[in-house]
Amino acid sequence: MIELVGLTKAYRARVAVDDLTVTIEPGRVTGFLGPNGSGKTTTLRCVLGLTRPTSGTATVLGRPYRSLRHPMRRVGALIDPAARHPARTAHAHLRALAQTNGLPVDRVDEMIDLVGLESVAHERVGSFSLGMGQRLGIAAALLGDPDVLLLDEPVNGLDPEGIRWVRELLRDLADEGRTVLVSSHLMSEMEDTADHLVVLGRGRLLADMPMADLLDQHAAVRVRSPQGPLLAAALRRLGAVVELELDGALRVEGLGLDQVGDVAFAAGVRLHELTRITESLEAAYLELTGDAVEYRASGL
Amino acid sequence: MRGLLRSEWTKLWSVRFGAWCTAVYVLVVAALGWLAAAGTQTSPEPDLAVETALTGFGFGQLVLVVLGVLAITSEFGTRNALVTFTAVPRRTRLLVAKTAVVAAWVALLSAVLAVLCAVAAARLTAVPGGVSLGDPAVLRVLGLQVGAAILITVLAVAVGTVVRSSAGAVGLGTALVFFAPLLVALAPDWAARSAKAMPALRVGRDTFLAESTSWQVGTAVTAAWAVGLWLLGVALLERRDI
Repeated sequence: MIELVGLTKAYRARVAVDDLTVTIEPGRVTGFLGPNGSGKTTTLRCVLGLTRPTSGTATVLGRPYRSLRHPMRRVGALIDPAARHPARTAHAHLRALAQTNGLPVDRVDEMIDLVGLESVAHERVGSFSLGMGQRLGIAAALLGDPDVLLLDEPVNGLDPEGIRWVRELLRDLADEGRTVLVSSHLMSEMEDTADHLVVLGRGRLLADMPMADLLDQHAAVRVRSPQGPLLAAALRRLGAVVELELDGALRVEGLGLDQVGDVAFAAGVRLHELTRITESLEAAYLELTGDAVEYRASGL
Repeated sequence: MRGLLRSEWTKLWSVRFGAWCTAVYVLVVAALGWLAAAGTQTSPEPDLAVETALTGFGFGQLVLVVLGVLAITSEFGTRNALVTFTAVPRRTRLLVAKTAVVAAWVALLSAVLAVLCAVAAARLTAVPGGVSLGDPAVLRVLGLQVGAAILITVLAVAVGTVVRSSAGAVGLGTALVFFAPLLVALAPDWAARSAKAMPALRVGRDTFLAESTSWQVGTAVTAAWAVGLWLLGVALLERRDI
């Protein structure tokens, strides 16, 4: 479990994290989303004691991270796949980490096998690609068999096979009752992986809700009827937002599937189609963070 | 702490600079020591003969500045520090382990090299009564040399912790122990006196290319700089963001 209470980090020119209070529960994969510069990485760094918050607290398993004696046995983290000395071999990099926390060196070989780096275990990591760096970082995070995992963009740079592997790994870890917090910009990936979402925008909490709820909020109903105008009028009377689609169907927002069916029955309207349209997480996310985007490309 | 020491030992030998600095240090100290001993035909006292053979330590300690600095700046320069301080959030403990490992390695190397230099002096320089390694005066010179090497290494680790950038810290470290004492010694009287407060490099009982101080004063000054800067390094390391 990770608890943030009033977490604030202000740099000279800007506030990176602004009064963030949220609890990350165990047993599920929590997706950590937000536009570039919204404070995700700063939040993770505060949790790991690398950055000192301006105010507020961050605790892991009920304790401040910096008071943990062997933190790798409790918390595994990947915050920068490039955080490695280029001249060191993958094996030496992981061995030095294992030794700091009194972990057996056998664990290093196990993790290297797990992430699929056996063939390059004794090569210098300076030559590693971004994806190989991610695998090394994941190996480091899992070395101590931790109860809590924090992963910042772990699938960035991974091949499709690797992305799928990470997805299944996170699922399994959460199912074992561990706390898994993972950030990503790949919405389709997040949609398949996360159970719960925490969304930041400009350092503030925009949403903290189950994935299903967020998708429901942005769901719509598609209804086709030979008596379209009559049905639209009946729906609008109940406060629904109704739009006419190109093929003559109606797109209804603000009412559920059952309600739309009931309205049609009550109005004596025949229906030829009644479908629930779920928006992709991407669309829901863009709508949610639209006002909180800090860095936006301008049109050409 | 044992795990931390082991980890730092692994780190020192899994990068290139550990082996390079060791090789260059051995080469400089041994080669210059042998040349100095061979070039000195006679000496009135055994400790003076040994001191001459230790000349290589003068330049050799500049390599220790690089070794000590890189031991810590290699973490920050490569962002490996993020991983290191995530694994070891108790930062002071990490710096203690890192300093101890590098200083212990330098102590071992320097002790072996100092004895080799003394052997060279015994074989190559004629001294009335000969040079005995068990001579208390000789042992004191050798001990002072090993002590000076350790202090310079600790000072370098401290400078690296404060400055964080490899280039900046190597520059500042060499300026502090070599160029500043040298330049100030060439300056007018009042500046030369202030040179005695600089952590100059030492060869045996005397300073190396700097204003001369007694070994008691010189060692105390260098120790004060090393400990002072190391404590400053700890304070900054605990306070600053990684």
